Amino acid sequence: MSEERSRILSLLAGGKITAAEAERLLDALEASKGAAAEPAGPPIHGDPGPLIAALPRYLYVKVLAANGDNVDVKIPIVLVRSGLKLTSLIPPLAMDKINDTMSEHGMSVDFSNFKPEDIDELIGGLRDMEVNVDAKNGDTVRVYCA
Amino acid sequence: MSLPPMILDLRVASPDRRPVHLWLPLFLLWPFALALGVLALGVALVADGVLLLRGRRYHHYTVLLARSFAVLGETRGTVIRFSNEKTAIDMTVH
Repeated sequence: MSEERSRILSLLAGGKITAAEAERLLDALEASKGAAAEPAGPPIHGDPGPLIAALPRYLYVKVLAANGDNVDVKIPIVLVRSGLKLTSLIPPLAMDKINDTMSEHGMSVDFSNFKPEDIDELIGGLRDMEVNVDAKNGDTVRVYCA
Repeated sequence: MSLPPMILDLRVASPDRRPVHLWLPLFLLWPFALALGVLALGVALVADGVLLLRGRRYHHYTVLLARSFAVLGETRGTVIRFSNEKTAIDMTVH
């Protein structure tokens, strides 16, 4: 029996509180314990290996050009993660040049604003990501994670 | 920490030539890379110290260099394939 519970019962036994008050106090105590013990997510039973294995390990880029050129690239996700984390350490002057060059080519991504938590969120989001591009000239590009 | 890439498996095939299969021993380059890396880290450390003393906001060249080596180490498992009517190239980092 917990200390709080025995204290409530001794107060009831001493006649200091009524049975209804003791019941309310016990309910409140149970509720507070339940809230404190509530896990952040559903409990994982058994071996977590299959769940870990279900996480994407590679980023795939497949390009099928209409002229017959095919490019198939498989990149480990850990490499993507390390590469993105590296961007936060690039000197500001070099980063400005990278951002300018990328915006000149139509990609206005400011890598200097990348934070570690954004990178983790981005990597987590890759699991559900799939990009399919079918160009007019017959080129197809497919980007996905598995 | 993962192991750095040890072997680069390169295959080149074309219809009119014999296929080429090369196992390039990247592990032979690592001692040289290590020596260069230690030298570069020393220079970066001095540069960072000077930048810090001058009150510059950016003084992370040492960390940048160390992380760059870590990125190189994560390249294991990368596969690049290219093919067209004339050539097929397959490159895998082990």
